[in-house]
Amino acid sequence: MLISKKWLHDFVSLPDNVSASQLADCLTMHTVEIEGVQEQVKEFYNIVVGVIQTVLPHENANRLRVCGIDIGESEIVQIVCGGSNLQEGQKVVIAKVGSSVKWHGEGQPTILEKIKIRGVDSYGMICASSEVGLEDYYPTEDEREIIDLGDIDAPAGMNIGEALGLDDTIFDVDNKSMTHRPDLWGQYGIAREISALYKQPLKQYHPASIPQVSVDKQQLHVDVQDTEFCRRYMGVIIDGIVVEQSPTWLRQRLFAVGLSPINNIVDITNFVMMEIGQPMHAFDKAQLTVDKDVQIIIRKAKKGEKFTLLNGKKYILTSDMFVIGDGKKAVAIAGIMGGKNSEISNKTKTIIFESANFNPISVRKTAVALGIRTDSSTRFEKSLDSVNTELALKRAVELTLQLCPNAHVVSDIVDVKQKQQIPKQIVVPLDFLASKIGVHVDIKVILDILHRLGFGVKEKKDILYVDVPSWRATKDISIPEDIVEEVARMYGYDIIGMSLPVASIAPPIDNTLRELQRRAKIMLAYEYAYTEVYNYSFESPEWLQQIGIDTSKHIELDNPIAKDRKLLRRQLMPNLLENVEKNSHRFEVVRLFEIGKVFLTEQSGELARDDGGVCLPRQDTHLAIVSATKDVDVPFYDVSHVCITLCKQLSISVFVKDVGVPDISFFHAGRYANIMVGDVCIGYIAEIHPATQKVLGIPYRTAVAEINLNILVNHISDNSCYRSVPSFPAVERDVAFIVDLSVHHADIVLAIENVDSLVESVVLFDVYEGKAVPKQKKSMAYHIVYRAQDKTLTSEDAQKIHSKVIKILEKKFKARVRV
Amino acid sequence: MQNTIQHKFEKEIIQVQTRDELEAVYQTYFARKSGSFSKLMQGLKDLSKDERKLYGKALNDMKMKMEKAYDSKKAELNKVELSAQIAKEHIDVTQPKLPVKERGHIHPRTQVRWQLEDVMSSMGFIVEDGPELESDYYVFDTLNIPSYHPARDTQDTFYIKNHPDWTMRSHVSNMQVRLMHKYNENGTKPIRAAYPGRTFRNEATDATHEHTFYQFEALMVDRHITIANLVGVIKELLHALYKRNIEVRLRPSYFPFVEPGFELDIKYVDTNKNEKWMEMLGCGLMHPNVLKAAGYDSHKWNGLAFGMGLDRLVLLKYGIEDIRFLMSCDLRFLKQF
Repeated sequence: MLISKKWLHDFVSLPDNVSASQLADCLTMHTVEIEGVQEQVKEFYNIVVGVIQTVLPHENANRLRVCGIDIGESEIVQIVCGGSNLQEGQKVVIAKVGSSVKWHGEGQPTILEKIKIRGVDSYGMICASSEVGLEDYYPTEDEREIIDLGDIDAPAGMNIGEALGLDDTIFDVDNKSMTHRPDLWGQYGIAREISALYKQPLKQYHPASIPQVSVDKQQLHVDVQDTEFCRRYMGVIIDGIVVEQSPTWLRQRLFAVGLSPINNIVDITNFVMMEIGQPMHAFDKAQLTVDKDVQIIIRKAKKGEKFTLLNGKKYILTSDMFVIGDGKKAVAIAGIMGGKNSEISNKTKTIIFESANFNPISVRKTAVALGIRTDSSTRFEKSLDSVNTELALKRAVELTLQLCPNAHVVSDIVDVKQKQQIPKQIVVPLDFLASKIGVHVDIKVILDILHRLGFGVKEKKDILYVDVPSWRATKDISIPEDIVEEVARMYGYDIIGMSLPVASIAPPIDNTLRELQRRAKIMLAYEYAYTEVYNYSFESPEWLQQIGIDTSKHIELDNPIAKDRKLLRRQLMPNLLENVEKNSHRFEVVRLFEIGKVFLTEQSGELARDDGGVCLPRQDTHLAIVSATKDVDVPFYDVSHVCITLCKQLSISVFVKDVGVPDISFFHAGRYANIMVGDVCIGYIAEIHPATQKVLGIPYRTAVAEINLNILVNHISDNSCYRSVPSFPAVERDVAFIVDLSVHHADIVLAIENVDSLVESVVLFDVYEGKAVPKQKKSMAYHIVYRAQDKTLTSEDAQKIHSKVIKILEKKFKARVRV
Repeated sequence: MQNTIQHKFEKEIIQVQTRDELEAVYQTYFARKSGSFSKLMQGLKDLSKDERKLYGKALNDMKMKMEKAYDSKKAELNKVELSAQIAKEHIDVTQPKLPVKERGHIHPRTQVRWQLEDVMSSMGFIVEDGPELESDYYVFDTLNIPSYHPARDTQDTFYIKNHPDWTMRSHVSNMQVRLMHKYNENGTKPIRAAYPGRTFRNEATDATHEHTFYQFEALMVDRHITIANLVGVIKELLHALYKRNIEVRLRPSYFPFVEPGFELDIKYVDTNKNEKWMEMLGCGLMHPNVLKAAGYDSHKWNGLAFGMGLDRLVLLKYGIEDIRFLMSCDLRFLKQF
């Protein structure tokens, strides 16, 4: 919302030594955030009043003229202009060289330079209204029409802002910072804060009473059908209206706060709204269906009722929306916008003013449902003070009678209202205030602050009894904490200072899952060269279908941002494959990992409420890694190596288990395994099926692994312990043999280790298929270390066990040992 | 004649260039049988006892001198050869080890998050996360956000199909009452907790907006908590984070779950060396309705809470101008961290 400094001056005088930026800072620190301060005159830098002395034809262009202009300097300046209404002696707006204008009112402002137009020098521009941001002020039909300042009392050379009285200072308030303050949505509310902040008197808001009518009275009936929706409705009929342009002062005010002047009646309703935050509306009586008396009905819309608003758009209403009707038809959507059918026009002679208090929630719901937010609905949403209903109507009538000399009130003032609820007195012990603020604030200061803000306060035995003024009572202030805020903000947060709370020094409870995640991330990145990514929690059904993933169990968003990502991920792998596809066109090595939550609807997670009952879907944290490298044919081993050694470093003993051919079409049937801790499966490792890989557009063989960290974390044990350094030498032997391809390394290691307790370690160092090895066979080579704990092992002792090992290999695995 | 041998030897030694040549010269004189000097020594046995004594001593003296000359030449040649080797083994010290072993990269968001977590943890705050798919009870109801509040609009919040009371949490404040319930032993124990996490807003993405982003929030409940304490705790956090004293200011603001509510600005110096204030976080004293929802007696307990956009800190720290990079999963971006 924009605030005009001149307008504020109507209600409060500021000390002379307060600059605009100081005022802005003061409001920001105590009331609402001021996002910017704008001096109107500066907006018109180098744009001045000029008087056309000569208008001559241009030699090379029919439509152009060469003008000599007095701009209050010693010499007449020459400007080439295509304006359609140029005349000698005319007062016009001149943008001098160096000023900033919008060419033809479009695009970004540009700085004017001296130029040649068709061979003739031109030192500036004679402006049309849209070129200098005055289109609201000097509306034109013809874009070639330049502003004619008429008989304005301003000498040539005067800054145009100054000449037009557009020399206000405008404050831009961040609307978000006053969503809880209905009272601040008008100039008067801000003036009230300023008066409290600078301890200056505030002028009372007392518009003149509306004159009573005794003869030729017209009847106005108001029927409020839902008092929950409409807490107060006031109306009055005024005759003898002449609709015309508003006087300059009114247009200046509206212009200052960013509204376009339209005509005197509409401008009055907007003016009142900007002044005290109370939206108003005016109907053209001639457009209403009037049966002897004027009927105004505040009623629910009919389901499917069609209605065209002032903006010219047609809306279809629902039965929970409220309209203003005339007995036959709707003439406005209550609190949002009037209808095209009762718009004020040049022919309007008689008007009906509406000032009302509508239900904030209902207005907001209707505005949201229709997708229109107006200055009116924005204000009603905030819960308006129904005292303003009357003030606004009085002010509007006062202004109308002032602007239209022949206008006169022709009806009684109708006021349909519910009994106003008197707000509860708030009891605030002084020590409560001190305990919240953290410093002692003198009682005199507290009372002064509250009084200046309009609160009624009595103090008895260190307890404050606070009466809330009507403009703060609608929803803003209701509990003692609210009073704390009033006192503290006006006292000044900057002088409250800081102190540290007194609290226990007990260290916080560990979070093992978080610790696990951090260790895993560091190892994956810095030891295994994987890069961390964050993917959306949302997945695209199309992508899942391309992979071949069933989407029937996925949780779906009701209102996805884009139709293409509406499912909640059940695993991390699918989005990671998308990352591989994207990156593999730029990188020959793509190694990624992600840690994140997945969503399973068929399993129960945390309670949805603390009173028991329904559980949310289970949301475990997964770790997924993916590897795809050019010319690596079996990325499976890259990934399985990472999984196993990573877990080992985390003191979790995992192993890979071949569980046979998985029933998953998009995985390679021969390259799939479960990751096990004891009997518990914590995840899987798999290669993507070459056909799927191709469909997805990934150029390299790709392996993935996904581990459930919520399960894994239960298996962390910190019982790693030291083994003494061996005192006796070992005997080392290698064994190489040929076995069937189907034989598993894990089984061989287990078998060798079980041969004798003197077997210290068994390490695979070569696997070979191909030349010199029969088909369906492979050659494997192991390095075995034998050692005794209590003596030096002789080579004869070791050889005995080694022979046993060979026998077992031959017997159990049909191994042909190579000698 | 003997002297001539010595001279000749010494002359030859001076001229040799390599150890092999030196060895060859040496052998010419000292080979056991054929060496010219060895022959002289052998000739001694044919002499009389007195002559033998006389010549023997002279020959031994001569041999010592010759061997000394040989040794020093040998040492000299060794030195030359070693320097030649060193010269030859000169390498390009600027060259990296090949093949280049790449490391992986931790996402900048994670790095900033860890910094925050470490500070909060060192200040005694539990660090914990919870459900991202959350009931409207924890996202709104427990936080004093009534059913008609704009925050609940579908243009701000993602809802779950067929579950009108489930949302993708629009802030991490859902953790406030969850964590208080979990740790306050029915409203009898104080709590300090920080809860960074993933949040969602139903809005179109552009350079400054993401529908998926991270927030960082913390709360503290104890018997005595004041506005001055709130400033104190946040200043300590900022000091630890930026390793210097940060000037802050509070200004009034509004969030339904705190009363009073504030915006906290920090002072910084811009590129033109002007001091400016920058909006940093939202904060306030916990609203009595939130304390009540968490099982505390709001007359006896007080709380503070503050929260900020974690991603904004990431963008600020690295000067990233487009928030969309954070979710881009683009290695060209990620490899920089």
